[in-house]
Amino acid sequence: MSLENPPVAFNPVRATYARRPWLLIQLGGLYGLWLREVKRAARDRGQLIGGASRPILWVLILGIGLNPYFRGEIYGEATFVVPFTYLQFIFPAVVALNVMYTSVQSAVSVIWDREFGFLREVLVSPLSRTTVLLGKVLGGTTVAVLHGCLVLILARFAAVPLTLVDALKAIGLMAILAFALTSLGVVIANRIRTFEGFGVFSNAVILPLYFTSSSIFPLDPALSQAQTRVTYPDWLVTIVRLNPLTYAVDALRGVLIHYNQFVPWMGIAVMVGAAIVLFAIALYDFHRA
Amino acid sequence: MNTDAPAIHVADISKRYGRTLALDGISFDVPRNQIFALLGPNGAGKTTLMHILCTILAPDSGTAGIVGFDVVRQPLEARSRLGIVFQEPSLDDRLTARENLDLHGLVFGVPQPLRKQRIAEVLELVELTEWADKPARSFSSGMKRRLEIARALIHDSEVMLLDEPTAGLDAQSRNRMWDYVRRLQAERQLTVLVTTHYIEEVETCDQVCIIDHGKVLAIDTPSALKHRYGQQVLRCMPRTEADREAILSRFPDRLVEERDGEIALRVDDAFVEMFLDQFGNHVRSLSIDVPSLETVFLSLTGREMRDRGADTRERTLAFGRIGGEHTR
Repeated sequence: MSLENPPVAFNPVRATYARRPWLLIQLGGLYGLWLREVKRAARDRGQLIGGASRPILWVLILGIGLNPYFRGEIYGEATFVVPFTYLQFIFPAVVALNVMYTSVQSAVSVIWDREFGFLREVLVSPLSRTTVLLGKVLGGTTVAVLHGCLVLILARFAAVPLTLVDALKAIGLMAILAFALTSLGVVIANRIRTFEGFGVFSNAVILPLYFTSSSIFPLDPALSQAQTRVTYPDWLVTIVRLNPLTYAVDALRGVLIHYNQFVPWMGIAVMVGAAIVLFAIALYDFHRA
Repeated sequence: MNTDAPAIHVADISKRYGRTLALDGISFDVPRNQIFALLGPNGAGKTTLMHILCTILAPDSGTAGIVGFDVVRQPLEARSRLGIVFQEPSLDDRLTARENLDLHGLVFGVPQPLRKQRIAEVLELVELTEWADKPARSFSSGMKRRLEIARALIHDSEVMLLDEPTAGLDAQSRNRMWDYVRRLQAERQLTVLVTTHYIEEVETCDQVCIIDHGKVLAIDTPSALKHRYGQQVLRCMPRTEADREAILSRFPDRLVEERDGEIALRVDDAFVEMFLDQFGNHVRSLSIDVPSLETVFLSLTGREMRDRGADTRERTLAFGRIGGEHTR
């Protein structure tokens, strides 16, 4: 067809621009992919409603409801008055919960990206796979931190005195936690071929992690290691101590209500370690797929 | 730079999936500024070849190049010159048309002022300017496909790969799609490689490559193909079983196919007269297909286009379309 046409001598449209250096393309692409995640999340009303209603449910209903039952005197003769209320105790854990839900949820959209072809569109771009994954994870992290901040708004109702410095520290911790959890979500999503629904993730990953992270019941600080194992069954104590999220929640508690069960640096160390390891696994999967 | 390299160079490409040989030593060159059609039934290996050309699948053997850049050794160079429209839409349907284009520009490293200018140009080109700020999920499938074509042009691609751009569109949208492709090709000096399993669509392409079972069966201009392989095919419905037997035993080597009682024979003008003389009273109906790409295809592959059922992937997509999950 065009063989019959005379070749077009003047090409008004293609004035091929100077191609940017590699690093600049990667950074630009990273920004684009990050922005996409944030925009998508902002437009997902379901996710927003979940992110706002979850803390209200946990802090205002469960927290206030259980508050009167949480007293030091429960433990027989060893009368010990803990320096915080149940509401204060659960508050940092709800921050972690909200971060966790949002991180895993945005990571799971990797499955949709794959099934609906969007992933392919970026895989045929000049972006390296590391950039693509990093954009996804950083986007998910940002959204999760924002959802974590939704909980911080409720600080007043939980009688948590929130100073600006504490809030900023908490945001820093949330960011590391969210990065690790989004990577975890991507690792899981990469191992799933067809989509089974987010409920599966919620019940099989998020809630078990959450419940066994000493988030809604304390391993009482007044009890020694041996006493703890008498008060609670052995297996539960072991699980709680093995769960990395325990240390993340503990770190948040240290910042928000100034109470640590473990050494303060432990939480950060565990979270940074988990973030690096999980991102590395996600990256490995992503390069292989 | 590689100004004399062909737009697309494919040399002896093979790809095996498990025990099936998807591509079996495919070779062809596409000169610049052509519309080149890859025609074949579903499962012929078109999409596999497409994936190799767009650098997301490595061939088992053989080489392929885009304007001289090897797709395996220089994938980034090749990608930045390719504009790709996949068979399934790959838009982010929660973003608007403009946002989709802008993201593509960012990802391909198109600097800002130029990006804005390009987006306006390509939206104009595919007549979606009024829809620029509407989310892509509200678009019809024809509009989505047009937006994807627009997107593939943002980074000044030199070679455009279109994988079944008209699949799933109604006849009107299909014609419109081809109008866009032809106009683009002429205005932008693009090379277009398009796969399709609609034979009637390739009539106006510069070259047609017919592939089946991973092999190139023929490659030429549509008129040359018709001239060389085109066949008049006579289709008739015999009156009785005895007539059918008689026809079949009389012309065993002219038989193309026999289906639902209908007999198709390879014929020429002289044969038709002779056939009418002898069997005119013995057939209930009779029709003659003049040479068309349809008959070229038939005589090359010995059959018509085939179809297949939905796989797991399509089922998942269907799940998403009916509402799926709130993460979507």
